[in-house]
Amino acid sequence: MSTKIALKFSRSNRIYRPSEPVEGKIVIESSSSISHYGISLSVNGSVNLQQVRGGSAGVIESFYGAVKPITIVNKSIEVKPSGKIGSGTTEVPFTMVLKQNGEKSSERFYETFHGTDVSIQYLFTVDIARGYLYKSLSATMEVIVESDKADLLERPVSPEMAIFYITQDTQRHPLLPEIKSGGFRVTGRISTLCSLLDPISGELTVETSAVPVSSIDIHLLRVESILMGEKIVTETSLIQTTQIADGDVCRNLTLPIYVILPRLLTCPSVFAGPFSIEFKVSIVISFQSELPKLHKKSDPRTPRLWLAVETLPLELVRTR
Amino acid sequence: MELKDQRHRSRKSVARMEFRRRDYRAEEQGRVLRRSRTDHHPLLPPSPSFHNQVVVEKNGNNDFFDPLRGLNAEDSTSAEEKAANTTTDNNSQVSSKEWTSFKRFLMQKFPVSKMISIASMPDVIIKSSTSFRESSESSHLEEVDDPRRISQEDVKVITGQEYVSRLHELKDEINRAWHAEDRVTALKLTIKVAKLLMDTSVLQFYPTLFVLATDVLDMLGDMVWKRIQQKAEFSEDGTFLCSLPENFKATDICSDAKETCNNWFCKVGSIRELLPRIYLELAIFPCWRFLIDQPLDSLQRLVMMARGVVDPIASAYCRLYMAHCARKLPLSDIAGHLVTCVNDTKILLMRHLSAKEDGHFADKKRLLVGLMEPTIEYIMKCIFENTSQSQRQVDSVLLELGLGRNREDLCGSSPCISFVLHHLLKELPTEVIRSNFVGILHLIECSQDHYFDQCLNYRLLGFRLSESRSKPDIVCSVVDKVIQAVAQYDRLDQYLTVVDAYMDIVLQNQMDNHLKTILEGISKRACHKEIHEDELESLKSILMKLLSHFTDLHDVLALDHFLEILDVMYGNPRSNINMHILSMATRTGYLHDLSTIQLLFEISQSLHDAIDFGSMKDDEYQQPLRLISRFVEMVDYGTEMDRHLTFLVECRGAFGIINELKETLVHSSNCLAIKALKDGRKHLNFVKSCIAFSEVTIPSVLEHVVQFNLYIETAEVALLGGLVSHSDGLVVSAISCLECFDLTDGSRTSIDAGGMLSSIQKLCSLLVMFPGNPDQGITRFPNSILSLIYSKSWMTPRMKIRLFCGIILLLATLSQDKFPYYPYCAEIMGNDMLFFGDASYAHEIAALSECVLQNLISFIEQEPPKAARGTMALEACNCIASSFVVCQDILEVCWKLIETARLCLRADDRYLQSTIKYLNEQLPPPVAV
Repeated sequence: MSTKIALKFSRSNRIYRPSEPVEGKIVIESSSSISHYGISLSVNGSVNLQQVRGGSAGVIESFYGAVKPITIVNKSIEVKPSGKIGSGTTEVPFTMVLKQNGEKSSERFYETFHGTDVSIQYLFTVDIARGYLYKSLSATMEVIVESDKADLLERPVSPEMAIFYITQDTQRHPLLPEIKSGGFRVTGRISTLCSLLDPISGELTVETSAVPVSSIDIHLLRVESILMGEKIVTETSLIQTTQIADGDVCRNLTLPIYVILPRLLTCPSVFAGPFSIEFKVSIVISFQSELPKLHKKSDPRTPRLWLAVETLPLELVRTR
Repeated sequence: MELKDQRHRSRKSVARMEFRRRDYRAEEQGRVLRRSRTDHHPLLPPSPSFHNQVVVEKNGNNDFFDPLRGLNAEDSTSAEEKAANTTTDNNSQVSSKEWTSFKRFLMQKFPVSKMISIASMPDVIIKSSTSFRESSESSHLEEVDDPRRISQEDVKVITGQEYVSRLHELKDEINRAWHAEDRVTALKLTIKVAKLLMDTSVLQFYPTLFVLATDVLDMLGDMVWKRIQQKAEFSEDGTFLCSLPENFKATDICSDAKETCNNWFCKVGSIRELLPRIYLELAIFPCWRFLIDQPLDSLQRLVMMARGVVDPIASAYCRLYMAHCARKLPLSDIAGHLVTCVNDTKILLMRHLSAKEDGHFADKKRLLVGLMEPTIEYIMKCIFENTSQSQRQVDSVLLELGLGRNREDLCGSSPCISFVLHHLLKELPTEVIRSNFVGILHLIECSQDHYFDQCLNYRLLGFRLSESRSKPDIVCSVVDKVIQAVAQYDRLDQYLTVVDAYMDIVLQNQMDNHLKTILEGISKRACHKEIHEDELESLKSILMKLLSHFTDLHDVLALDHFLEILDVMYGNPRSNINMHILSMATRTGYLHDLSTIQLLFEISQSLHDAIDFGSMKDDEYQQPLRLISRFVEMVDYGTEMDRHLTFLVECRGAFGIINELKETLVHSSNCLAIKALKDGRKHLNFVKSCIAFSEVTIPSVLEHVVQFNLYIETAEVALLGGLVSHSDGLVVSAISCLECFDLTDGSRTSIDAGGMLSSIQKLCSLLVMFPGNPDQGITRFPNSILSLIYSKSWMTPRMKIRLFCGIILLLATLSQDKFPYYPYCAEIMGNDMLFFGDASYAHEIAALSECVLQNLISFIEQEPPKAARGTMALEACNCIASSFVVCQDILEVCWKLIETARLCLRADDRYLQSTIKYLNEQLPPPVAV
């Protein structure tokens, strides 16, 4: 005998705003009828400030377990009182509002975010209690929360662009001697304030370069900080790399920068008390060299002899 | 004893049967149809009034179809409508068809070589199909990425066929995954396929790779499009919402569909590598329409993004795909963006080509240019696809390409790459070409890189010039300059390539001095040198143009160097030219000029020598043979008939192998004889020589039927010349030729029974005029024919019966006091004069006819009863009734035949009824029957 239970939400993308009712149904598939002590639905929204990662040593790991998750919302409703469910497929509709009007919430409804050190999740769990003899049935499903429209900035956000120029002299790390002596100059501009719905845009021009360029990439980075007692621990990690030039591009030819922001991996920049989530973009110019072949598994963020890097802060905002 | 008996019987029958007396003149006058004038040609298209008549008639009688009538008005209009419908067909369908044929062209131009060496072996290609069924749970596409390229030394080799079949497998797999709702896998695999396009070390194989990979991409693009369309047209639970119109707007799309669409662009946007990212976005590029109405900005961004792809081949093909995908959208102005594509390619290419490298790299560059050329060709086509109407647009395109519309701009701007110029020149609207010849010429002169033949641009200019219908003075100055420029070419092939394109212009504008220069130039470069195949083709094309321009062959032959050039040619092109010359010579009329005849004779000989009867198919050498025969036929020496006959003798010697020609030779010599006869009696010896020539020639003709016909023809000619004994001999030969003829010795298994029959019938009618020779029996020839009928198995029953009838008719005619016709030459007396009132003559004829009649009736009875038997019985009946006076015996015979016919035919058969009517007119039927 098998009984399947699942949560199905009214929106296929499962994106809801805090003040919107989350609608859906509990789908129970059973080959025989089941008696139960009630079907309940609970939601738990929280900020988790620790993640266990295998392998490379992170700074935060040493504090594992030290920081308690911050609860944003945690409530439960009874969808159905105790009774019996017939065999076959049964659908039980439900409605639940995350943030009741006038209800006082201890925390802000941060947007869903899946990071390395900070993770913001809203989980819906359905439970069917069936007494001592039977294992209770349950299913959990994540919904994605985006900020309420009322709290949002009016669109369009005035696009803020930063003008950058990268030369052998702007680099704070050592470069290969031929790059250093031959010189190069790459200029352009790139968004520093960007709506989550828009791509990071900008343009880039290689004006001069004595050593041939092999690739130009845009790295999207997240900067997660957690308040650990008195200390703030910050870690920067790579979200996405986007190549904009493959090979030794023609000089003085403008290349567009166009990076679509990945959903879930990005959220509006947050500066909360116990934690903060920020973003950065770096423009990485790789020059042709034999060296990269020897360092196959290198972290792309590590400054290398054959790379020129320019990193700029990026503020992400939710717009209407 | 037997003979006596036969004679006795025939005597008896003579008493009963009597030939009907005929007055041929009176009959002719009585029967001849009245002639009336007509104003309307029966084969002309019907006039409107006539047409109405036809329609009325059609309504009345549906089964009547006049094959000569023009198309019915209704039919033709409906055909036009259909044509109109097909032309209004979706523009996208046309472009997709074009794309398909372009892909085929690419594959053919760069065939897959046996082995392909690849710098880095992509794992999709190596892995067996099952091993990359990765778990689809990880939805972040970064995991797909493994951009580490294997070092250059690590070159691997795979067979082209393997690579191709692996790609086909991948396509199937993607398709399967998609339909199994595993769209993530489908996308992942497609990205892997797109990544293959990053490796351009495969060079020659790249176009094939491109075609296969874009096939996959197009398939994915279509599937994504359909999925989003479905989301827009159906609600989540599958109920139909609305059907999207062809020109829908982004506002018509529900948010769910938009969300899905947006997701796809996000997924594609997260691909790390530039080239696959561009390809994937292009694959789903049409889906932008679900989000925004005018996705021109996206196109522009993609065009700019492609600048980041530095490899010339990869970027050129990427832009090619861009042009293809941009055409899928109903955008009005993609030309500007495509022009940017061309310019970017140009910049990239200039950088590449100007890099100084030695020998080995020069070859590589040529290969590179060859590989990139088709992409520029296609993009140019797309650019000018819609701009041809608007002058302003063309101007802006030119301006953006760095080719302004005045001279300063044309030369002042960046030098053009010659193959880019080539394809620009190909697509430019005619008006632009027309007003810019000087500038274009200048551009061609300037752009001389070593990777593309300059002569091809001159050639193209020639073609464009001839279609532009420009003013003569412009045409003149362009041609002047081009001829000057190509004078510096040493190589024959280049020279020919260019002048070939200008031939038509030079000829149409009567630029005789240029024609002279060209021919001289060709002969200078062609003589004392081995001519290659492609040069031969160009030469052929040039000479063909010359020949088709002039109507009179003499004008061509009078040109300097023409014959020299003809002489350097060989093989098939030479034969083609020879054939053209022959057909041209024989088209206009008889050939009188002695030197022309001599030249054509030589040409015919060369054509004849080129024919390889052993290896060529029948229809391949039929045409030249026909032309040679035609030439011989058209030769006319006028009054120099002796010379003409000598010519025929020469031809027989030279073209002895040609069977068909001998027929022509006999006809010609017979014609000569007739011509001599008309001229008077003085040429009798010449006539005899002609007849002797014919007589000697005929036996070498292969087919007996033809031989027979020729004998009869010659016999007739001899008879006209009063040469009775010649004529007699020829008829004997004709009949003996039939006697020799047997199905077993002829190569043909079936004979042309109808043709044979009419030939023998013709002989019968000729025999009417033959003076009988009492020594050899008056009925000698009819008897020989009869013995043929009895002995030859190839004679069909129908043939035999008809021949019997023919002999009866011949005998009936011979029995008349006055014959219906006589030989042209009055000196020969007909039998009517020779044997007038001779009883034994009459007896002999009557006896023979009696015998034939009996045979005829018994033959009809032997026929199995079917419709054919009935018809034959009626034919025989008519023949008998019209030949003999209707007496009791004859009537019996006739009614018997009618009975036979009645058994075999339907009672309402019209032939049967009219025969009965005819008989009844002769006499009332006997009561006994």
